[in-house]
Amino acid sequence: MNGFFRRIIEKVVAFLKLSDEVARSNAVETIETEVEELENIFGVLVLGSYVGMPSPPMQISLDLMPFMEKELILMMEKVDTASQPLSQLFSVLDIG
Amino acid sequence: MDRANHLFFLGKGGVGKSTSAALFSTFLAQKGFRVVLVSLDPAHNQSDIFERTLSDEPVEVAPHLRIIEIDEESWIRTYLKDVRQQINRTYSYLTAFNLDKYFSVIKHSPGLEEYALILAYEHLQKKYSDWDYLVFDMPPTALSLKFFALPSLSLVWVNHLLALRREIIEKRELITKIKLLKQEFERDKVLNKIEEQRKQYQTLKETFTHPEKTQVHLVLNPDKLSHAESLRIFHSLKELDIRLYRTIYNKRPLNESCADIDPVFAETPMLHFPFSETPLIGIRQLQRYLQANEKEVQNQLNTC
Repeated sequence: MNGFFRRIIEKVVAFLKLSDEVARSNAVETIETEVEELENIFGVLVLGSYVGMPSPPMQISLDLMPFMEKELILMMEKVDTASQPLSQLFSVLDIG
Repeated sequence: MDRANHLFFLGKGGVGKSTSAALFSTFLAQKGFRVVLVSLDPAHNQSDIFERTLSDEPVEVAPHLRIIEIDEESWIRTYLKDVRQQINRTYSYLTAFNLDKYFSVIKHSPGLEEYALILAYEHLQKKYSDWDYLVFDMPPTALSLKFFALPSLSLVWVNHLLALRREIIEKRELITKIKLLKQEFERDKVLNKIEEQRKQYQTLKETFTHPEKTQVHLVLNPDKLSHAESLRIFHSLKELDIRLYRTIYNKRPLNESCADIDPVFAETPMLHFPFSETPLIGIRQLQRYLQANEKEVQNQLNTC
């Protein structure tokens, strides 16, 4: 009997934990998207010259470049997907 | 502590800034001050004036007087090589990018020329901090003004990037807190670098705007064109909060007053090197000229 109750309690606890995790994820979803966009803006601002955008004085970009591998990869990906804006939008909105 | 004062000689091409810088350096060295004359001008007239082969390595042409010619291309090459090496050390997917092509083009990018001069300036400032004077023979006006504007302009960008980076980090921390993820204790490297850059440009800006540390000497001639360009230099420096320290009125016809000079320049201390009938070439000739005109030059400096 004890085992039965323990299993129920464990399940309830697991359920609550999962609900908490889901609630927390939902709560930060907007902030996560915002951070992602801010990181994109930062990448474009600093490394824009690599993809033909106006950029800060060259030495500022060059000094930061060794620490921005992630942003550089992101920029390359953005260039790749730039030719398919609709498919990108559909995938963001989870359509199809 | 950095005790050296920095004297910059600016003006339109051909007004005699290199000769004025050479005369001034020789004059100061004769007075017993330790002087380094640095040619930042790609034309490198100092080697012709002193009749010596000059390079990045200092050459002692007289007691207390050394001369250096900055090779800006070599500074650009070294700088790009350093960045490239740093990238090699930090990137994990290096082969995915064709950075070699990017770097071979980048060395011709606008903006790197003045940054190379800034790097050379910072290097010399540190190296000769215990000397009395660093005298800079400046490049043509456009490049000289870009050199002085670089710290202020870069600070505008750096401050914006810093604010954006801080916002990103703050939000990242918030997400970590809410999602109960493991906290990262390592400081953001990009933020560190931007803060480092801000410190560098702030120090440069403070040095350039310091009224005693940076002494800008504007060399001009009686002709209209040099006058007009000098006025533009004066106003551009004013916008950057850089004060004109002294005006050197060169090639003034004999027995002619300074009455026709713009009142803007008349407000600053003025120096007029008396006309020399013999060309001022070689250290002996420079010293002889100063000896012959010592009284007049000294009187003018005293009244300045």
